[in-house]
Amino acid sequence: MTAIDNGIREAAVQQQTQVERTEDNGVLPSRPLGLADHRVYYGALPTPDQLPLGELAAKLGHAGVRGRGGAGFPLYRKLVSVSGAARARRVAPTIVANGCEGEPASHKDKHLLWLAPHLVLDGMVLLGRELRATRAVLAIEAGAPHGKGDLVRRVREAVAERDVRQDGVRVEVVEVPGRFIAGESAALVSTLDGGPGLPTYREDSVRERGVGGTPTLIQNVETVAQVALIARYGADWFRDYGTAAEPGPQLFTVYAGRNRPRVVHAAAGAPLWPLIADAEPIDAVLIGGYHGSWITAPMARHARLSEADLDVPLGAGLIAALPAERCGLAETAHIVRYLALESAGQCGPCLNGLPRIAAALELLADPHHASQRNGLLEDLERWCGMVEGRGLCHHPDGSVRLVRSALIVFRTEIAAHRAGLCTGGDRRPLLPAPAPAREYAAH
Amino acid sequence: MNSSVLWYASQATGIVSLVLYTIVMLLGITVAGQGTVPGLPRFSVVALHRSISLLSIAFLAVHIGTALLDSYVDISFISSFVPFASSYEPLWIGLGAVAVDLMIALVVTSLLRGRISPRVWRVVHWLAYAFWPVAIAHTIGLGAGKGGLISGWGLWLTIACVVAVGAALVWRVAAQQERSRRTPAQVLEKTRSEVRV
Repeated sequence: MTAIDNGIREAAVQQQTQVERTEDNGVLPSRPLGLADHRVYYGALPTPDQLPLGELAAKLGHAGVRGRGGAGFPLYRKLVSVSGAARARRVAPTIVANGCEGEPASHKDKHLLWLAPHLVLDGMVLLGRELRATRAVLAIEAGAPHGKGDLVRRVREAVAERDVRQDGVRVEVVEVPGRFIAGESAALVSTLDGGPGLPTYREDSVRERGVGGTPTLIQNVETVAQVALIARYGADWFRDYGTAAEPGPQLFTVYAGRNRPRVVHAAAGAPLWPLIADAEPIDAVLIGGYHGSWITAPMARHARLSEADLDVPLGAGLIAALPAERCGLAETAHIVRYLALESAGQCGPCLNGLPRIAAALELLADPHHASQRNGLLEDLERWCGMVEGRGLCHHPDGSVRLVRSALIVFRTEIAAHRAGLCTGGDRRPLLPAPAPAREYAAH
Repeated sequence: MNSSVLWYASQATGIVSLVLYTIVMLLGITVAGQGTVPGLPRFSVVALHRSISLLSIAFLAVHIGTALLDSYVDISFISSFVPFASSYEPLWIGLGAVAVDLMIALVVTSLLRGRISPRVWRVVHWLAYAFWPVAIAHTIGLGAGKGGLISGWGLWLTIACVVAVGAALVWRVAAQQERSRRTPAQVLEKTRSEVRV
């Protein structure tokens, strides 16, 4: 924490604005902030004079921000290629803040938008000015379920509070169907262009030709919020959090024990165990999301929360501890069934592969079937190999990553199932997997 | 060269072209319908489709060349490209010219496939479904006449070609409908019921 940062917080407390600091160092407030409170809490948005063109990009490059939507792509490189494409073609770019969390178990983006919508809007304004974008779209899940109220309304109210002339960027709020793959960049562009919202084959990346054919910068809302923080507090403040390779404060959705999931703020390099210790005894931990990986409990006990240490991507920031009385195979089968049903059904490997993998996992998760059928593991291995690296989007790859990690982490459980036993007493699924609201139209 | 030799050469290469183009159609429909040929990997079905279509150009060239050289009937060079410009059998020769033009469009766009937009190639390639019936009409119209080879076994061969392509088209439409009804949920249910018996 730098002096500036503390100073701003002190000021907030001194002015008695009823904004309390939270346990997570104030990166997020403890209650939703309106525009006035937001300005007090975080400080004023830097004006174009305070932050001349080019300076924000330099700060973001120095900060080493990586996208928080799951893929972890460096923000600076995207920024450079979008502005390069815009300059080369003389077309004003579009920026999209992606709040389509999609992942049923993840709440960090909704949590952020609920508590600090103006932080995301600030980030959009800053990126919009930097790129001289003519369109700025905030995409959020239609009817996004959020425990505390109507998120879409809250975000729209926040947009209405702002002064467009002062911002220089008008933010449009677009509601996107809450499907697992709706937030994939090409699918999102398709939705924003009035299409079916499915991943599509694109000759050029969306950075070259995205929404309406314009160069498009799509960033997860948490990344956009980080832009607003870096513009205020600087790249060094950002790098004070985390490790050199994985800098910055990050939001995680944590499932630990019977409690409802929490959204916490943590930085890479911190010990993982304290976040999930409440769930003891645990069997395994799911890291990243439904496209993530299982790790064993002993590994979780000693690992640090970083991709380098865990050797798995932190992805969309899900950390879910599986209590020991649960069956990891049943849990994985439940998730993979959801993933298979969320396939758009456009590409053969995904349409024909994922449901078969899901069916085989269901058999494996059931000791009665697992003990009677040979060749299930071989089938799974073979099918995983057949769908990996194929298809228009990374849905098959991510799903296969989860299945492969389960086959390794739960191998003793697999042996038990093949002997007709299950060590998990509680077979109810832990993580949510909603049934599809509607099927994707067939092609 | 004897005129009747040229006449028979033209008729024979015409029939061979028809059979080859029928095979090209069948392979193309198989590829488009995402089907397979037993014993062949998918990429060789595509390769075969492409190679046979180029091979048939040679037969078509002989077919046209001999017809032009044959002095028994007077067909001008122009009328082999320009539809209905022929004084002899203007309709049937004209249909042959239409087929030649369509075939040139198909071959040229396919050779340039890497350089043109996929959509243009695709739209032009749909012309294959016009090319083949026109070629069949040309064959029957001229060949079934006096002295033509489309009688007896030649006629049966032509009928077999028509039936084969017709059946392939029915298969393609059915396969497409079956695929469009398939969803992940359906595949999951089907796999489940298969493995639990």
